[in-house]
Amino acid sequence: MADIAVGIDLGTSNSCVSLMRNGEVQVLDNAFGERTSASVVHFKEDGSVEVGNSAKAKVIHAPAETVSSAKRLIGRYYFSEEVKKAQAVYAYEICEAPNHGVRIEIRGEEFSLPEISAMVLREMKQIAERHTGEKVTKAVITVPAYFNDNQRQATKDAGRIAGLDVLRILNEPTAAALAYGFGMGLNQRVAVYDLGGGTFDISVLEIGHDIFEVLATCGDTFLGGDDFDDRIIDLLADDFVAKHGINPRNDPYALEKLRLAAETAKNQLSIDEEVEISIDEVLTNDAGESLGIRRTITQSEFAVLIQDLIQRTFKVCDEAMQQSDLTVRDLDGIILVGGPTRLAIVRDAVTQYFQQEPRRDVDPDEVVSVGAAIHAASLVGQAKDAMLLDVTPLDLRIGVAGGLAEPVIERNTPVPIEQTRTFTTFKDHQESVQIRVYQGDHRMAEDNTLLGQFEFSGFEKGPRSEVKIDVTFEIDADGLVNVTASDQATGQQASTQITLSSGLDEEEINQLIRDDVAGRVATAGSNDAILTPAPAPAQPTETEAEAEANASPAPELSEPSPATGTPELETDESEQEPSLFGDGLTDLSLDRPDDLCDLADLGDIDDVGDVARLGNNDVTELDLMDDEELIQLTEEVMPGENGVPIDSEANSTDDDGSDFEPSGVALSGADAAPRKGSE
Amino acid sequence: MTSAAVEALEITALAKIIDELDYYQLLNVGPDASTSDIRKAFHVSSRSFHPDANRDLVGDLRIQCQQISKRITEAYCVLRDTRRRNAYDVKKSEGQSLRIQIAEARNAHVEQRKAERLGATAQGRQFHGKAEAALKAGNLTSAIQHIQMALTFEAGNVGFKSLLDELRQRKKELG
Repeated sequence: MADIAVGIDLGTSNSCVSLMRNGEVQVLDNAFGERTSASVVHFKEDGSVEVGNSAKAKVIHAPAETVSSAKRLIGRYYFSEEVKKAQAVYAYEICEAPNHGVRIEIRGEEFSLPEISAMVLREMKQIAERHTGEKVTKAVITVPAYFNDNQRQATKDAGRIAGLDVLRILNEPTAAALAYGFGMGLNQRVAVYDLGGGTFDISVLEIGHDIFEVLATCGDTFLGGDDFDDRIIDLLADDFVAKHGINPRNDPYALEKLRLAAETAKNQLSIDEEVEISIDEVLTNDAGESLGIRRTITQSEFAVLIQDLIQRTFKVCDEAMQQSDLTVRDLDGIILVGGPTRLAIVRDAVTQYFQQEPRRDVDPDEVVSVGAAIHAASLVGQAKDAMLLDVTPLDLRIGVAGGLAEPVIERNTPVPIEQTRTFTTFKDHQESVQIRVYQGDHRMAEDNTLLGQFEFSGFEKGPRSEVKIDVTFEIDADGLVNVTASDQATGQQASTQITLSSGLDEEEINQLIRDDVAGRVATAGSNDAILTPAPAPAQPTETEAEAEANASPAPELSEPSPATGTPELETDESEQEPSLFGDGLTDLSLDRPDDLCDLADLGDIDDVGDVARLGNNDVTELDLMDDEELIQLTEEVMPGENGVPIDSEANSTDDDGSDFEPSGVALSGADAAPRKGSE
Repeated sequence: MTSAAVEALEITALAKIIDELDYYQLLNVGPDASTSDIRKAFHVSSRSFHPDANRDLVGDLRIQCQQISKRITEAYCVLRDTRRRNAYDVKKSEGQSLRIQIAEARNAHVEQRKAERLGATAQGRQFHGKAEAALKAGNLTSAIQHIQMALTFEAGNVGFKSLLDELRQRKKELG
């Protein structure tokens, strides 16, 4: 039997699944006949889980047991801005896991973000299975182009936990361009303006002979339609405070009511000139009176509210145009993606910016999943090949001295790509080096996202400068990063699929798959008599049967989730690769918040002095260990080349580990090192 | 022979010699290929070697194909960008290497400034160095002569020119 491979647009607010069969792409509707389902997960009292628009409706009554916008949190560290923001906005409990991970606590159980997303994906899988009557195990899952490695990896993990073989992590704008241009024999340059629920991406592509080459992509993972809602919420809340003297933001139930009202109003504003928001009871005051709200918002009022947010997207567009070496006049088409682009305010602004009307023949809610389905079919040999040549959205960097991060692979470099840099030890008989890998566009290491770090220690010890260590940075076609260190002399290798410290390790993922945590998702329609049967044969598949079995509170589900991290798992991990990671993972992971400060830290200024003194025009040193254990970078560079700097090991800065700000003196010291000294 | 078998042979053969090929050879274009030729060549090569086009490969062949794909991307990435391409051409002509770090171009403007200050050619650097030494020794006339010599090798060097102007000005002031 031919492979069935679906395309899933896993959105911040809504998700959509499509399938290409016999050359036709079909958007698969859910049991309620809806073509998109809310990416909302509701945990019922019996331990089972409901996903989609019905789950979203539960948020008013059970805000703490209903998780929305998980995509905003996936692949993030607990200390990140986004997590803080979500804690202020959402009623569900967001807590910290080991290694600065994020967990959602619901009814006393903890779930990682990949698990939550896996439940949404399982729902999508089940929708596809209802339509095909067959087991669906292969999928292309889309992510915002601007997602970093941590977010991509976590999304891929979510797919696996959902029981899917993830054929490809595909960038949303690229998928949209594919849906737009596939099989059309186009020869065009297009821009995809993708404003989703929580993220904004702009990609500029050249399409020719079914080759879709991304020339540049830029984005903002902190900007989306949710932010538009927030502006309306603020307006309503401020009104409410002015009128009643009570802040509804402090009441999770009231806040959810405002949020739903705001979202509804926003959607209505894409059609109507003005909307009236009317909530009879936002909350009940201490005297037992119900306090409501009634307010009209016009398009122009709304435009003022969100003007700055829209302008922010064009700043990003400027960057993308510049990076692609094109002007808006070079573009043959503008493709709009994402629900918020239905707003006239957004469309008008886009038309003005690009000096042309965006395409109207593309459905902004479905186009991404359609593109994903086309690519999925092509990957399993069911559609003629369209080549997608994508790029990496962010600089890949290595941590170097002075708290800096030096780029190794620049953003908008096509993938797959590999770059190798050669390092040498500085200290005689040095035993190990520490490699830290970042993603981001910032010079300062701390402003970038730490993807991972590892210690390389298996190499043969020798006099300084004689040990040559090759560090290879690879970005694959999924945009996932892999870093390998190897010793030239012995061929000794240490590699790490750079894993997010706040994510799940391989063993945890396997355990979650074995436990079939996603199986908690109740099969839509199984317990709802009023549902109309799906158009396709609806006999229960094996998976559905399993899902139903697990939907009831099974004893194993109430046991502590493996995601909470048992000591055994950690031990397993360190035992797996003892020679590669020295003392094991514990040393490398970020155990304390302080460690993170260390990453950005310089060590004492004397270190930098040493580095500067030791430099010459051809070689720059990498301070990868403590002040004594420097290693050098000897790149094949031209004389006088701007050298590549230096990283400091966390241990070296124990004394001042709490000092988050790298010292200015130290910085200029590092900068002034060899090459700029004569300026 | 099946096309798959031909492809396998091609991959193995290419993987064997990949380190001996320069970026132009990798993309199968001439040294004066235009950016658009280079883009076309990249598309053609991607059809053959991109991982998406080779999902069925297993084992060594798969790994070899991935290596080729990554190297082709690297070649494209360097050659499509004028600054990188120039830097690469220089490096290659000096026999240093058939590859270049793609991040190098980021520092190109720094390089250029440095070249302007210290000289971009061996002779330019040499005479600039002599001029600096003469200046240190207090011999302004000699310094001017040396920097003029440096300028004969690098007529367009803005840094040298401004240094010459400055030295001449100083000489004038000294009378």
